[in-house]
Amino acid sequence: MARSKAASKKQQKQQQKRGVDFKKIKRKLGRKLPPPKNATNTEVKSKAIVLPEQSVASEKAGLAVSKKGLTLKELLQQTSHHNSKVRRDALMGLKDLFQKYPAELRSHRYAVIEKLRERIGDDDKVVRETLYQLLKTVVFPGCKEDNQGPFVSLMVAYIFNAMTHLAVDVRLMAFKFFDLVVQYYPPSFSLYADKVLQNYEDILRKNQFYLEDKAKLRSALAGLVRCLSLLPCNKRKVDSSEENMAGQKILHAFELDMPAESSGFSSITKKLKDLVPVLVNCFQDFFPSVHHMPLLDAQSFDCMHSILQSIDLVVGFFGYGIHQGKPASQLSYEGPDEAIWDHTISSLLLKKLFGVFPLNPTNHLSEKVDDRFFILNIVITEIFLRCSEWICPPGFLLEKFLQYIENALLGSTCSDSRSGKAVWEKHILLLLPFIPKLVLQVASDWKSCLLQAFTKIFEGCNPQSSLKLACLSAIEEMLIPGDDMVYPDASDPLFEYQITWIRALPQLLILLGDKHPSSSQVVLHLLLRLGQCANSSSPFSREYENMQYSLDKFYSSCVDRGDVYYGPFIRLSWDSQELAICGLYYFSNLGPFLLKSIAFCCLCSELEHLVLFRIIEVLHSAFSAGHIQIADYISFFMTLLSRFKVLPENIYPDVESDAKISNRGTFKLLTNTVCSCLSRIGDDSLVFQILEQVIFDQLLLKPPLDNACALLRVLVVLDCKPTRLSEQGIITLSKYLSGYLFEVVHCIPEDDEENSLPTHQQTCCYYMLPCFFLFDRSPKLLKLVLNLMGSLITESSSSPSSHSYTQYGNDNSNQINAVVSALLLMHKDTKVRKIISSFKEEVVHILQIIHSLQSSDSENMNFEERHKIQCAYSRLKLVTCMLPNEVPAS
Amino acid sequence: MELLIASSSVADAGIGCWDLESGAEQLRYKSCASPPHGLACVGQRFLASSQLREQPSASSGSILYWSWSKVEVKSLPAEPIKPIAANSHGTYIAGGGQSGDIYMWEVASGRLLKKWHAHYRAVTCLVFSQDGSFLISGSEDGCVRIWSLLTVFEECESQRASHLYLHSFTGHTLRITDIVIGYGGVSATIVSASEDRTCKVWSLLKGRLLRNIVFPSVIDAIALDPAEHVFYAGSRDGSIYIAALNAESPSTSSYGMHIIGSLSDHSKAVTCLAYSTGDLLISGSEDGMVRVWDPITHNIVRMFRLAKGPVNNILVVRRPLYLNLGSFSNPHTSSRRHGSQLPPPLDKYVTSADEDVDNKGVIRLPSLYNAPRDASYISHRTIDNHLKELQQQGSSAATEMEVERLKHECNRTLQMVQQWKKMYENLHEFCVNELLDGDQVDGSKRNAV
Repeated sequence: MARSKAASKKQQKQQQKRGVDFKKIKRKLGRKLPPPKNATNTEVKSKAIVLPEQSVASEKAGLAVSKKGLTLKELLQQTSHHNSKVRRDALMGLKDLFQKYPAELRSHRYAVIEKLRERIGDDDKVVRETLYQLLKTVVFPGCKEDNQGPFVSLMVAYIFNAMTHLAVDVRLMAFKFFDLVVQYYPPSFSLYADKVLQNYEDILRKNQFYLEDKAKLRSALAGLVRCLSLLPCNKRKVDSSEENMAGQKILHAFELDMPAESSGFSSITKKLKDLVPVLVNCFQDFFPSVHHMPLLDAQSFDCMHSILQSIDLVVGFFGYGIHQGKPASQLSYEGPDEAIWDHTISSLLLKKLFGVFPLNPTNHLSEKVDDRFFILNIVITEIFLRCSEWICPPGFLLEKFLQYIENALLGSTCSDSRSGKAVWEKHILLLLPFIPKLVLQVASDWKSCLLQAFTKIFEGCNPQSSLKLACLSAIEEMLIPGDDMVYPDASDPLFEYQITWIRALPQLLILLGDKHPSSSQVVLHLLLRLGQCANSSSPFSREYENMQYSLDKFYSSCVDRGDVYYGPFIRLSWDSQELAICGLYYFSNLGPFLLKSIAFCCLCSELEHLVLFRIIEVLHSAFSAGHIQIADYISFFMTLLSRFKVLPENIYPDVESDAKISNRGTFKLLTNTVCSCLSRIGDDSLVFQILEQVIFDQLLLKPPLDNACALLRVLVVLDCKPTRLSEQGIITLSKYLSGYLFEVVHCIPEDDEENSLPTHQQTCCYYMLPCFFLFDRSPKLLKLVLNLMGSLITESSSSPSSHSYTQYGNDNSNQINAVVSALLLMHKDTKVRKIISSFKEEVVHILQIIHSLQSSDSENMNFEERHKIQCAYSRLKLVTCMLPNEVPAS
Repeated sequence: MELLIASSSVADAGIGCWDLESGAEQLRYKSCASPPHGLACVGQRFLASSQLREQPSASSGSILYWSWSKVEVKSLPAEPIKPIAANSHGTYIAGGGQSGDIYMWEVASGRLLKKWHAHYRAVTCLVFSQDGSFLISGSEDGCVRIWSLLTVFEECESQRASHLYLHSFTGHTLRITDIVIGYGGVSATIVSASEDRTCKVWSLLKGRLLRNIVFPSVIDAIALDPAEHVFYAGSRDGSIYIAALNAESPSTSSYGMHIIGSLSDHSKAVTCLAYSTGDLLISGSEDGMVRVWDPITHNIVRMFRLAKGPVNNILVVRRPLYLNLGSFSNPHTSSRRHGSQLPPPLDKYVTSADEDVDNKGVIRLPSLYNAPRDASYISHRTIDNHLKELQQQGSSAATEMEVERLKHECNRTLQMVQQWKKMYENLHEFCVNELLDGDQVDGSKRNAV
């Protein structure tokens, strides 16, 4: 455009010049001749022509353009075009452009919004609609991550301007725009709450305009609901968000004195108070449509629903305002804050809203309409319940509502179709949180009715539904005695239902399985809370005690023939497991039944070993608090040690990587933990007496090497020097130990002096150490073991097939080798060497047996065997020679 | 001059007392089996300890007083008391019962001032705040509650409120094992340890959780660093963990979030911790040893052997002024001198309500025995008793006064007698004169006649 103008100017200049250069010589003076008829007008007139499309072609290479080839700048200019179609096209073009080049939006967002905001109050409906779509789909999502404060503040002024526009359409649309802003930037409501509410009030007051245009009104009201839902209304929600913050922050961080949130909302109480009557009036205006029209159409329903929701939210906010800023202790006697809650609102609600309750369809036409009325009634009930916390409603009203609540809970007011059921489930949720308070307030006949209906819901609903969760939180409120710590007495109708609920909980836990961890966690938390307050004086203590008989399936249960069915416990998350384990502590008498099921759980290889140790820790705490009998406690540990499956079976994994899979380390830790728990029980000698026989019984069953070692270690930990073993015990043990030593030697590869790794020695040490301790404490035991070893060799040589230890050495040579290796191992340990030296006789006796074998049985043996025996003999002989000849008298 | 006092749950070990500087053993009181948190030093005047019950049938749960010179007073509360605590002046003793009740006694009179139901389950530890205005209790049900003594004792306050406590923290899932409170009056931080393997840091002012620290093992004891930069947590696995209280610590620590290090030597579980003003950390272990650590170098400075059984309590107290080594060496003379100075045993029940009207504080007259700063508040009734005693027993001054008064009376009576005598004489004279005059008149009349 500028170029063409310049061109025309140039032309003019040329004309002037020409005039100067070729000056006409006037030939005649006087009258001017009229121009000839065929004369051509040579005057040139010029006018600028705008040809945007053509001018683009040359310069736009590299710039972001829309489909029509327009740049951002051009499009923005066009948005203020006087033709509405151009404006609309420009907006479409912008949308196009931004979708293609998101970077363009980010870099120019302030310029863009400055231009676009002018269109908020556009007269043309289509343009506004397009703008809305543009903002919604492209601009706001694109600018989400940036600092939105200044961005929003640029827009809001224009939105407010549009809210006071003369045309109702524009006004309603402005609310929609504000709704959009709030959606993407929630704090904007608290910043501009005062103005917005004022505008809502104004528009709702002039109701004659909008009754025709319900669709618009519906969206505006939906915006109001969204705004009001940002008001703090639920104390618990605020608390929980604070709880989540804990732990991440610096402990003594500087904090602002006034929380930003409450300062934002404290000023608007008055505005909200003014809003309520307007909303109620507005609601009343819809009444004719309810009563006269045969159908409650979707739009009016939505409007009414939104209005009611708004009232509900405002009332909720008042309730929150009353609670906030004061210690809860003062609430009970001071009543509501007069400044917040005045009687005009309550009387208004009583007269105009609760008076018309319940809304009933004039004729039953379709289920859909029934459901709609149901929803409206539920919201009114919710408002009523909120209000009834501060105002005392007249008796007949209370009766009416209670009647309705009972019916609603029973589901009789709603249609039976599937959609109806879904609606019922969704909306009955709103009522459940009020049940606990209601139960406390109403008379006893109503109480039992309500509780019955509530219990029916609780039992009837799906375990994983949100309805169940809501029921659970209501139950928690009703079960756990509040601050006054008063339990209900047995005559109270509540008591009976409480027992019912408690009994349902373990079943629910098992039903939930491991698929719904969050629900399981809620149930487990409730159980824990129950356990915490179920002391002996509480009426629930017996119920809690009995729960252990139904909880076993949660851990594991023995089906038949030793098959174990594992419950959901094993597969739950760590937090849930922790909660479940903590719950165990609070059984005042944790019986063998549940302990058995827990023990099976502990033995499961899937269980994290951290959980295993946690279980032991908690059980120990429970034991020291006197909640577990000592016999049960000890047998729990014995089960763990004797049944724990150590994988892999052989001690030396061939490949290094196998070591990672192996749970041998866990088992060693477990052994240590059990030992320390047992030694903490108290008098060791008494515990030893209890354990001695149990351990012998287990040992005689020939458990795998690791388990046997663990059992021996327990024995050693509780024993002292000189030994506490009984005579009989020493004999039994000596029989076992000789076999045990064989086994150890067999499982450990031949320990040559040269290639013995330090790890091998450690392992060897680990298995031999308990024996060494026992020998140290009771030399008699060693003597018996040595004797047995000697007789073993002779026995096996006389009848090789009959002996029980033959699985380790089916021939004599191996047997002899094993004996010798065991003796050598003992000899290596300095302390045991001292003891062994006092039994030189026995060792020499073994040596003699080997020697005689070597010489006598030569025809039965092949060469290799004989060589082996020869080797063994020479090794033992070497050791025997090293033993001091002078046997000490002791 | 600080004394280290440690007690065990094994009865024959009792209470041991050492000089922290020299390491010399000072005293040992036998036959005291105290549970964890069951030992308190009352106003630095004497020790009080609750007793474990040996057999269920035995007279259970007594509270014993031990003066420095081995004199004991035994009180039998209504139910077994495990944790006890005394405020810093030694005015009150609080005890936590098995049923979840908290008892509050006045030391000087032994009166049970108040008993209230505080927890669902047994109280496991009790702590007074530094200024004595708050009582913090932990319970077996995992609940920590903060009681403002003002609210507890104010009749109308407690009736109006729906609950007595100021805050109730229910974050722990298992038994509370220890609680400490820092300095700073109303804005102090509280650290609680529980068997659920966590320690939680709470704000007294805001009444909410500030930090949750998960430890590798159960924490049985905690001690605060005086500057409150860190706290020490003695765990069941035998080490003492150091957890950060202020700075954000790197989460890459090998022990877990917020745990910055550990002191380790114990083979067995750490059962109690204390921090002395001489910058020493003192730990008691399950193996019966008391170890003194230098918290900076992480080295053990000293070790004391208390018992075979676990050490349950450690106290660090300043040596009482009157207590010199001489009195230790010769306990019998001192017992004779101070023997009667222990306050009376604690009451079993709350006295009836009308007597509570008298519950006014008066300042007790300082006796010779007490250090001057030990001026304590005791009830008005004690003064009444004093007066009554005085009236009954009397005193030389009173007798003298009486004599004086009697003398004075005697003098006055004598004077009266004199006066009466004088009057009588006057009257007599008058009468005689009258008679004589009459006679004279008669005589003159007669004469006239």
